[in-house]
Amino acid sequence: MKLKVYRYHEGMKEPRYDTFKLKSDPSITVLGALFQFQQEFDDSIAFHYSCRGAVCGTCAMLINKVPRLACRTQVASLIQGELKIPLSEFPAIEETVKWNPEEEILVEPLPNFPVIRDLIVDTTSFFNYYKFVEPVFKPADKTPEKERLMDPSAIPELELYTNCILCGACFGSCPIDGKNPDYWGPAALAKLYRFHIDPREKKGTDRLELANIPEGWWACEFYGNCRRVCPKGVPPLIAIAKAREQLNDINEKKEEEP
Amino acid sequence: MGGVNVIVTKSLNHDDAKEKSGSIPQATIHSHEVIIIGGGLTGLRAAIQIADAGLNGAIISKVHPLRSHSVAAQGGMNASLGNVPGEDGKNDSWEMHAYDTVKGSDYLADQDAVELMCREATSTVIELEHMGTVWSRLENGKIAQRPFGGAGFPRTCYAADRTGHNALNTLYEQLFDRDIPVYEEFFVTSLVQDRGRCNGCTAIDIKTGNVHGFVSKAVLMATGGFGRIFSRSTNALINTGDGHALALNACVPLKDMEFVQFHPTTLYGTNILMSEGARGEGGILLNSNGERFMEHYAPNSLDLAPRDVVARSIETEIREGRGFDGGYVNLDLTHLGADRIMERLPGIRQIAMDFAGVDPIDDPVPVQPGQHYSMGGIDVDINGATILLGLYAAGECACISVHGANRLGGNSLLETVVYGRLVADKIIEDNPIHLEQDIEPIKLAIIDIEDKIGDIMDRKDNGNFFRVKNAITDIMFNKFGIFRDSDGMDEGLVEIKNLQEQFSKLSPINKEKPFNQSLIQFLEVEGMLKLAEIIALSAIERKESRGSHTRIDHPERDDVNFLKHTVSILNGEEVDITYKPVILGMFEPKERVY
Repeated sequence: MKLKVYRYHEGMKEPRYDTFKLKSDPSITVLGALFQFQQEFDDSIAFHYSCRGAVCGTCAMLINKVPRLACRTQVASLIQGELKIPLSEFPAIEETVKWNPEEEILVEPLPNFPVIRDLIVDTTSFFNYYKFVEPVFKPADKTPEKERLMDPSAIPELELYTNCILCGACFGSCPIDGKNPDYWGPAALAKLYRFHIDPREKKGTDRLELANIPEGWWACEFYGNCRRVCPKGVPPLIAIAKAREQLNDINEKKEEEP
Repeated sequence: MGGVNVIVTKSLNHDDAKEKSGSIPQATIHSHEVIIIGGGLTGLRAAIQIADAGLNGAIISKVHPLRSHSVAAQGGMNASLGNVPGEDGKNDSWEMHAYDTVKGSDYLADQDAVELMCREATSTVIELEHMGTVWSRLENGKIAQRPFGGAGFPRTCYAADRTGHNALNTLYEQLFDRDIPVYEEFFVTSLVQDRGRCNGCTAIDIKTGNVHGFVSKAVLMATGGFGRIFSRSTNALINTGDGHALALNACVPLKDMEFVQFHPTTLYGTNILMSEGARGEGGILLNSNGERFMEHYAPNSLDLAPRDVVARSIETEIREGRGFDGGYVNLDLTHLGADRIMERLPGIRQIAMDFAGVDPIDDPVPVQPGQHYSMGGIDVDINGATILLGLYAAGECACISVHGANRLGGNSLLETVVYGRLVADKIIEDNPIHLEQDIEPIKLAIIDIEDKIGDIMDRKDNGNFFRVKNAITDIMFNKFGIFRDSDGMDEGLVEIKNLQEQFSKLSPINKEKPFNQSLIQFLEVEGMLKLAEIIALSAIERKESRGSHTRIDHPERDDVNFLKHTVSILNGEEVDITYKPVILGMFEPKERVY
């Protein structure tokens, strides 16, 4: 088994790929393989990591042309072809380099983000879109003494979106983000929807209106890659579809009124 | 980034520096009234408090705050809300919470700090709710609570098994809303002192490799634990005890460092946490004969005895040959049913499937004990103040001593948020606003750090320092693990000393400045080696068994000689160990029975 890794740092004319033979350990993850690479082959490689347990969202990268968390992706499963995820194509995930998926793992930085060094990308614009959605709870009422009551049946839908770990895999898999750098992207819109459906928030359409612009709800073309790559099963597509439906309803009502 | 940035040419006022450094690179100095080191739950909660009081605070963090280890906390946060009555129909109270905490601590916790935490618990959970945290709910709409180990009531408030994730995101949203500056991917390299006061720190900007100075009037350490000193740990890879090492180097003592919690149920192989919530929901532990062995060790509490008790029981089963090959037992959830598992424990189900290839709905999960939490830490008083004026600590890196010799599940998330707020209040009260900020000591400190890094990079030995890192973690788990004895620990200490000696000659191979993660790991290991020695000495000197510290050669608790805190301090290269009394109060020490 080999690891084929994208290498780039400032000053290089173009990126190169380094290939490293892994010590055979069937249970190793891609993150574990990167540590092997760092410790035994070249300690100048740069990649982000933190929890190694698929909860913090730090180590999202492009593995065998699919955005995934390196920490939860098993090398053996990749080699055996078990982790194939069919994605709608866009230039960044097309064949850019020769690699043999039967014996190599191809590791590259997340697409749609500027590369800073090796596997590390610049997340500034990603977090700017996060900022645009005003991601802070805006309560409907004055602060009560005890907890606000919440119907437990409202929670499952809310959880779908609070589960987002902001890893950026969805952003990196989105054909629209690839061609329209102004599109807010799936993660930010899912976050916006999370606040919109929180029953404790002020009722109304303020949240929806915030992204009622061409770069917001309306830029999505429903390729569905975001949902397919999300390590937490968050469905930005559903949020976007529902938001549009609700905005259309509002518009229809407005038109009906004289 | 906010704050006042001053560009200084570092050799201007300092002849020595000119001589030493030769070139005249520029260093950036940032100025804030309060610097918070660490962006987990404690750091974020404190930063919000500081900002709301009108002080200019900033966070320095090794990673983006949302990547902090707090995000991985699964089970929940204890508070005597009384939303779920106990078995006898009675309601919970802060006094009962305090009693369980003190008993769980094996009477080593300071009872004044425990009282404060338990009194503040309910308002703390509700405060998070008011900020927007999505908690799991009861049918009546109130925050749900479930039973946890060592607790007399269903007291643990939870958000499925993603409590830390939900709470951290909420606090980060609040931080973001207030536009509080975060120096992200900065590795703090030293605490700086001026005239007996901590007035800032130095840090490497990992992205560029440049050393920055931070001048402040107060510094709050919120750097989390040191679990990664142990080879088997539930901790994030970033939990390398950096804050502890910084404090030590500033001659600030550490307290109770021998008390290291081993969580009973970590996933076999990777040691990712399988929340205590799994047993709270009714999960049971089975040995290789299919026996529910906790019946023999804690006949009343069974699988929900405190963590030290359950971890020892599992380890005993494995050592006596009733574990499975490779050293694990089974955590059986199959009887809970698919619906309950998917509703209450979806995250750990996913982890079991991803990392062990086991679906808990159909099959038991292989688990083994692993390091989980550090009860000891930077020695602080009940206000979070250290002996160094202007330096405070809170959260896991601190030992305010609410957990004593063993922490109860659900109390650590609580501690982070309660004391993040209270210690920030103390910093505000000690109002440093009128202090003058002198940047000269910071400039000198930057030069010291640059020289130190230069010296490390100049070392000629090309040995692989990562091997030292792996070796230290094995020594700590094997010699200072769940069961300890004098012979093993003495051997371990010699090995630690040898590793320190080897390490002092090594250097990262990569000499570049930007994103030199090898250098950052190198500096982490330097601190880990120091902490390892302190843990070793503290454990060797405590000749009794209490809480998580179990000595085969001293199996009994010894209140006559050891109802006291271990205090360790760096005296030159040597470690001095002294003791100080435990603060007792409402509850008299007695034998723990579960």
